[in-house]
Amino acid sequence: MRTRRPEPHTLAGAYALDALTGADRTRFERHLARCEQCAREIASLREATARLGAAAAAEPPAGLTERALAAAARTRQLPPVTRDPARRWPGRHAAAAGAAGRAVRPLRRAWMPRLALAVAVAAVVLAGFLGLAARSAQHQLQQDQSRSHGIAAVLTARDAHMLTAPVRTGGTATVVMSGREHALVFAAAGLRALPSSRCYELWLMGPAGDEPAAMVPTPRQGMTGPVLASGLRAGDRLGLTVEPAGGSRRPTSPVILQLAL
Amino acid sequence: MRLDDSPRSGRPGRAAGNTRGTELSALLGRAARGDGDAFEAVCRHIAPPVFGMVRSVVRDLSQSEEVAQEVLVEVWQSASRFDRSRGSAMAWVMTIAHRRAVDRVRSEHRLAERELRAASFAVAYDDVVEEAEASLDRERVRRCLRSLTELQREAITLAYYGGHTHRQVAELLGVAIGTVSTRMRDGLIRLRDCMGVGRED
Repeated sequence: MRTRRPEPHTLAGAYALDALTGADRTRFERHLARCEQCAREIASLREATARLGAAAAAEPPAGLTERALAAAARTRQLPPVTRDPARRWPGRHAAAAGAAGRAVRPLRRAWMPRLALAVAVAAVVLAGFLGLAARSAQHQLQQDQSRSHGIAAVLTARDAHMLTAPVRTGGTATVVMSGREHALVFAAAGLRALPSSRCYELWLMGPAGDEPAAMVPTPRQGMTGPVLASGLRAGDRLGLTVEPAGGSRRPTSPVILQLAL
Repeated sequence: MRLDDSPRSGRPGRAAGNTRGTELSALLGRAARGDGDAFEAVCRHIAPPVFGMVRSVVRDLSQSEEVAQEVLVEVWQSASRFDRSRGSAMAWVMTIAHRRAVDRVRSEHRLAERELRAASFAVAYDDVVEEAEASLDRERVRRCLRSLTELQREAITLAYYGGHTHRQVAELLGVAIGTVSTRMRDGLIRLRDCMGVGRED
């Protein structure tokens, strides 16, 4: 049932119904980003789909609202999106210099005294990483080595600090961070496999907004990473979302992992 | 994060009973600033439509409850991202909810089972309409759905309540993808105008 590619505009209904996936969705969203009229049309169609949804309203199970309130009380709210033309991916480092206005919270938090643990993680992670590096082409090697150096710097930092948390859609994430190095290393086990049109993306979510931190490579044998994210600032949280392959400038889907750093 | 009893939050009780339109968006605005009472009022208002819609897509009761709870928490978490110039608060909430519901069914390894369910979808849709008889709003939705052509109505309900992609809908209805796409759009425009909501200006 393949026809020639339709006018993007005709997909507005399917998009408003969340019936586009993968490349269809990516393509339409690219069109949407440039088409103010489409954005208005989608918004108006969503008023209609919302009525379809509301028509199915039903008494929620007892305690649903209470449980949601309790969960909300443990959940930090996202800051509003601010329009700041100075902050552009990948200009995070440049922007860091002008971050005077940011609320600065000291990087505190139980710095782990368990250097041994960090070193063990470092050994495992580096072994995997070097194995990968050995297979990569010569020109890639240098780049990998500098990344490897960055990873080693975080893992061996005196203030290296490890956090582990479950990912909402499955799997466990481990983060070793260093305030001194302004960087963190992310690794995960058992992340849910994604279709090739989607990928995991890491975000640094700070008081001034969300910024892309790194793309997460496809898991190998259930293990993901290590991924180095630098440019960490006080008050940042680490977020993980699922994005169209190639990544997004801002999170476009719910956060499935959020760690206060 | 604070979910405190801030002095400006007032009592949510009455508002929760008949919160509509602008009131809901005002409550969301307060929730975005960390007002727990306002968020509670938001929840009371949106929990039935969110839960009911999610259940009509996900079907499984405990999973529906889980998804509905995630939706409420996401509403709290991203309340600051709601932009009233872009549409109504209810449309914003239901968009979040529907996305989560379809994400859930698409991530489940239950494709075969869902295909079967789709085959008997006529029944499921009738259930929804049956339950929908309770209120005038629902009556209007039902009437507006009836005003569509059969293909428009089937394409829209398979996608919205069935959680199917436009390609799956085309397959189920045995028509070209391009045809399904235009029927979805034309049908939604007709529904929108029939319901008297969200006209583009």
